[in-house]
Amino acid sequence: MPYIAVDQLSKTFTVRKKREKGRLTREKTAVHALQGVSFSVEQGELVGYIGPNGAGKSTTVKILSGILTPDGGSALVGGRVPWQNRKEHVRRIGVVFGQRSQLWWDVPVIDSFSLLKDIYRVPTEAYQKRLAELTEALDLAPFLRTPLRLLSLGQRMRAELAGSLLHSPELLFLDEPTIGLDAVSKLALRDFLKYENEKNGTTILLTTHDMEDIAALCRRVMVLGHGKKLYDGDLPELLSRYDTQRVITLRYDGGAALPPLPDGCQVSREGADYKIAYSPQALPTARLLTLLQSAGSIRELTAQPENIDHLIAAMYREMGL
Amino acid sequence: MNTVKLYLRSMQMLMKSQLQYPVSFLMQTLAQLVMEGGEFMAVLLIVDRFDHLNQWTPGNLYFFFGMMSVTFYLTEIFGRGITGNFPSLVRTGQLDTLLLRPRGIVTQVLCSAVDPRRVACVAVGVAALILGSRQSAVQWTTGKALAMAEAILFGVLLILGLFLIEAIFCIHSVKSIELVNAITYGGRSACQYPVDIFPRPLRLLFTIAAPFALTLHVPSAYILGKPLYGWPAWTAFVSPAAGGVLFLMLYLLFARAMRYYRSTGS
Repeated sequence: MPYIAVDQLSKTFTVRKKREKGRLTREKTAVHALQGVSFSVEQGELVGYIGPNGAGKSTTVKILSGILTPDGGSALVGGRVPWQNRKEHVRRIGVVFGQRSQLWWDVPVIDSFSLLKDIYRVPTEAYQKRLAELTEALDLAPFLRTPLRLLSLGQRMRAELAGSLLHSPELLFLDEPTIGLDAVSKLALRDFLKYENEKNGTTILLTTHDMEDIAALCRRVMVLGHGKKLYDGDLPELLSRYDTQRVITLRYDGGAALPPLPDGCQVSREGADYKIAYSPQALPTARLLTLLQSAGSIRELTAQPENIDHLIAAMYREMGL
Repeated sequence: MNTVKLYLRSMQMLMKSQLQYPVSFLMQTLAQLVMEGGEFMAVLLIVDRFDHLNQWTPGNLYFFFGMMSVTFYLTEIFGRGITGNFPSLVRTGQLDTLLLRPRGIVTQVLCSAVDPRRVACVAVGVAALILGSRQSAVQWTTGKALAMAEAILFGVLLILGLFLIEAIFCIHSVKSIELVNAITYGGRSACQYPVDIFPRPLRLLFTIAAPFALTLHVPSAYILGKPLYGWPAWTAFVSPAAGGVLFLMLYLLFARAMRYYRSTGS
């Protein structure tokens, strides 16, 4: 029996629009946030959950954390139905919303933590141990006694993360945890998530738009679009499907012209620069380079690095999102 | 007991955070003093022109005013989460955060805010009570003190209950409904005077729908030695419970409404 079992989950919101002039009633539209989504996650997995804005990611997280009741389908988390018996369920999960603070704004971080200890009824000994572990792993010591409002975004995120893990949840939902963080903070956060997942076996479901996060952390990824699950499986495999094109830019000495290239290459010209898009499967890079060199001496050549965001954009386009 | 401890710890922490801005806190407390003091001044000036209002002397009226002030503003200090904060909790989606914690929602909402500035208003209320009981020559007994404590306690619950109505509307419509203010703030303004000076429809409203008369006026009248409608003395100890009943009913309705809660944003 998987740890999270979601079957045919659906949720529809009714959105009332502003009344149009000259009409008595307001128009209502049904927004199908989720339409029959099914998946399962094993204990200890670290799964990425991606999709464009409005795909239904947050709705899924809200249902699985017991905030929302679905209209149809079933979901079991650790054998519990999340929206029934809310208190019993939330005791065992942790949720971090990147955009929403769970700690108290004007009080020192440590005071917030100690109140959370009371809220979750964590025994003092377990709390001390966990706090020490998190302080060490997330490097909280320098600002533990500083009010939250004086922290930088990166520090605040670390504090938030610690706050949601104090009660040692078995499942952690992360909703865009790296939003707005600088490179160093992002890396530190990723390292920590890996550590928490491996050391404590915490199951993690990570929602994000930052593909680097996913690539660094998750082997498995689920793609959601328009309330439906579009892909569920290996991240490298997903990427290889869309990773079909490479682009290089080059300039010749003395403005020599391009040699004729095989079919399937798209060439565009900007001043003296040529931009060539080709598919390495059809035309190996070595052969292309030989061809190019035969036309003259190359002064500059840049290969555009593989960009995961481009791949995802291509994928969303193809899936019609 | 754990819930009470949690509430007290939250209050302590929130007080601390309010005091992070000491000057602002002081100024606002002062402003509250001026506001509520002005209100009492107005009552003093008006009441001073009459010998009596029905059977009530000016001193009696000050006492009624004091009871309402103390009760209402104690509610605002300790129940700020419900009396003031709830609509914004819903609108900003902060309520989601509360739902993610293994505690009751009303408990957590109560733990989410405190408004110590209102202590100035309570002080004005206490002054009115002292002045009122002096002028009315109240002979204090243990029974009377008990009746007063009970009235204030149930009065706080009553007012919390009335504010829960607004919270319930809020869950359904996201925006707060100002109409409910008619019986919360409106009730406060009207019921700082004893209910029997009002015409029948208002008397019914404040006895049955929003039972300020039962929770505050009956015991106050007993303390002043002029039983409301000539009711026997024991009613002063029983009727305030109406506030508790109202709170309980609305608490249950609130819990029901929470099942229909849909959060905002992502």
